[in-house]
Amino acid sequence: MAYKAQYYPGATSVAANRRKHMSGDLEKLREVSDEDLTACLGHRAAGSDYPSTHPPLAEMGEPACTVREAVTATPGAKAGDRVRYVQFADSMYNAPATPYFRSYHAAINYRGVDPGTLSGRQVVEARERDMEEVAKEQLETEMTCPGLAGLRGCTVHGHSCRLQEDGVMFDMLDRRRLENGTIIQDKDQVGVPIDRKVDLGKPMSEAEAAKRTTFYRVDNVAFKDDKEVVEWVHRVWELRTRYGFQPKN
Amino acid sequence: MADRERMFKKAMEVKYTQEFGTNQNKGGNITDKTAKYLRLGYTQSPRKVEMAAAGAAIAKKRGLAAYNPMMHCAGIPLGQRQLTPYTISGTDMVVEGDDLHYVNNAAMQQMWDDIRRSCLVGLDLAHETLEKRLGKEVTPETINHYLEVLNHAMPGAAIVQEHMVETHPALVDDCYVKVFTGDDELADEIDSQYVININKEFDKEQAAQIKASIGKTSWQAVHIPTIVSRTTDGAQTSRWMAMQVGMSFIAAYNMCAGEAAVADLAFSAKHAGLVSMSEMLPARRARGPNEPGGLSFGHMSDIVQASRVNKEDPCKVALEVVGAASMLYDQIWLGSYMSGGVGFTMYATAAYTNDILDDNLYYNADYINDKYKGAAKTGTDNKVKATIDVVKDIATESTIYGLENYEKYPTTLEDHFGGSQRATVLAAAAGCGVAIATGNGNAGLSAWYLSMYLHKEAHGRLGFFGYDLQDQCGATNVFSYQSDEGAPLELRGANYPIYAMNVGHQGGYSGVASATHSGRGDAFAVNPLIKLCFADDLMPFDFKKPRVEFGRGAMREFVPAGERTLVIPAK
Repeated sequence: MAYKAQYYPGATSVAANRRKHMSGDLEKLREVSDEDLTACLGHRAAGSDYPSTHPPLAEMGEPACTVREAVTATPGAKAGDRVRYVQFADSMYNAPATPYFRSYHAAINYRGVDPGTLSGRQVVEARERDMEEVAKEQLETEMTCPGLAGLRGCTVHGHSCRLQEDGVMFDMLDRRRLENGTIIQDKDQVGVPIDRKVDLGKPMSEAEAAKRTTFYRVDNVAFKDDKEVVEWVHRVWELRTRYGFQPKN
Repeated sequence: MADRERMFKKAMEVKYTQEFGTNQNKGGNITDKTAKYLRLGYTQSPRKVEMAAAGAAIAKKRGLAAYNPMMHCAGIPLGQRQLTPYTISGTDMVVEGDDLHYVNNAAMQQMWDDIRRSCLVGLDLAHETLEKRLGKEVTPETINHYLEVLNHAMPGAAIVQEHMVETHPALVDDCYVKVFTGDDELADEIDSQYVININKEFDKEQAAQIKASIGKTSWQAVHIPTIVSRTTDGAQTSRWMAMQVGMSFIAAYNMCAGEAAVADLAFSAKHAGLVSMSEMLPARRARGPNEPGGLSFGHMSDIVQASRVNKEDPCKVALEVVGAASMLYDQIWLGSYMSGGVGFTMYATAAYTNDILDDNLYYNADYINDKYKGAAKTGTDNKVKATIDVVKDIATESTIYGLENYEKYPTTLEDHFGGSQRATVLAAAAGCGVAIATGNGNAGLSAWYLSMYLHKEAHGRLGFFGYDLQDQCGATNVFSYQSDEGAPLELRGANYPIYAMNVGHQGGYSGVASATHSGRGDAFAVNPLIKLCFADDLMPFDFKKPRVEFGRGAMREFVPAGERTLVIPAK
């Protein structure tokens, strides 16, 4: 019988959404063009070639190496791309993603990525074109609500702040805002103005965000009500604790 | 349990529904999920306006750029959110955030000065050497004379050298030596000005514990001048003490300054009985004794004196330790010594402002008293056995209560705007609660790690990557028998292997160590000598109430020691 990954315990919608993020089985909700994505990321001019940090691997005459033979290089590595980042901030008011689940999504579903997980933001570093693939999937699918999440390289505060009166997550650098019912971004990740207004799509309604979120909240799906998840946390903690206690050694 | 009035309600209302400075922050409710972001910039804060004016004046005077708040984010200044004040937990003191940076707060500096400039040194070995090796008679009268000489000499005065420069007494007036002993008869015979009176400073039970622990030994609590300690470092404290102690013995007991027997006295009087506040660090961290990295959580618990005056309120004792230790370990040790940063203040303030941690811990005490028959009340025969099930139950209840507060009261979430702040507060509450209930510090530590796990799964986030590190692997070292992994919590400290580099933990751990003993009503956590060293109202910083002192510092009411105004031009 082929093993089928279970990913995450729990009987609630939050647990189910966590399983979706981890498995990569995600619903696409919007389109963001490659050029718009490039502009928002701010690493290079939209439409320009990828700057490289070394020649393509095929031209480098790599040494004989079993690891190199066993592991196929990612497209970005093959081309010699720079390592660049995408970083998201997700509101604690039912944004679909949470930092750990963005990291799990990237680490499980992509190769050559280096996810970093903080409380207010989550960064993925990878070769530039590989990173863009991750960023595009996260931006275009149910992992992201443009009103409750943002691409933020710096000054990321907002995840824990109360929402603005229009329901959009606070952004100190005002990189994006609600205009005519959709979220418009006109600065890159670090707040440098870009040459366009990128339409990131409509923010989710409160009900839709509550349905799609991976965040347990007492006013939506309370953590304590997902008994299996709590039980599993207890089990992990107890096993680790008992493992450390080994007087026989 | 029935819903209860939250202790942080008033602080949140002050912070988020009332105007402070010119932040136009009026109205609304602390449970609102949305807010108006007015983007008023730094000018909404009176203190930042003052700082901006100072920066401009400095730049003009020296002809070189200085503090300018418009340098923030290429011209987008602080204050895109409302800049709001902080209530010092356990008080009604409302202060500006900037005034809780230790550079701006004389009380915080003095707290660390008072620890760093202190050491203990035993008298008994010196007296034995004087009597047996040098043939001198030691009596209460000679001890009184010696202490009078020593309190002249310790600040930096001459006693036998005849032609010497000396320190000006008005610059070193915070320097002194007192003694304490578990021998009540001897204590009665020493002039009271020199004595830390155990029977007066502690209640009957605690005094008996202390005296039983130290026996009839006698000790000197030495506090060298703040100005000396600030100019040198913590390792200087025992050296300064040693020189003055040696010279004072020579003078007080009319000894020859050159005979060989004096070498025996020098060792026995100055070094053999030395107790520093903290241990020296390994060479890669390169700090001597009496620097914060070597300060154990047990010693930190004993330095804070809240246990003497709040015996019936074990939560308050632990909370005062959390406040003091968060300031020292996060703001000064990791925040400055180790990283040179500014932002660490924000980690520490979460633990001692706005009553959020206080609310969580007092909730835990109610829960424990209800479920475990008063186990959170002060006492030794009411404790619940430390088992996996007990830790699991209390830590889970505590953490879910705290998590749900952040969800029900969005203003508390915004106040603790970083996950590391929230993680420390929740884990400290769980750890202190279990420690109070069980009287077992490592059970409290175990609760800490369970709280971290629960928090991470509930919110899908914890702290920053480095912050989480020790919390994700810590459960395995709680009860480890291997000496390089496990140790009683009281003996762990800022340089414990996986604690050494991460902000936001060490103050909480100290609180758990303290709670272990405050719940039992113990006189001390790990070292009665350290407790006695600071059981003394002459210290400029009042270690009975560190949080009030921080508030006084922020309000510019605290008077520190070691000032140089006497010897510099008047402004």
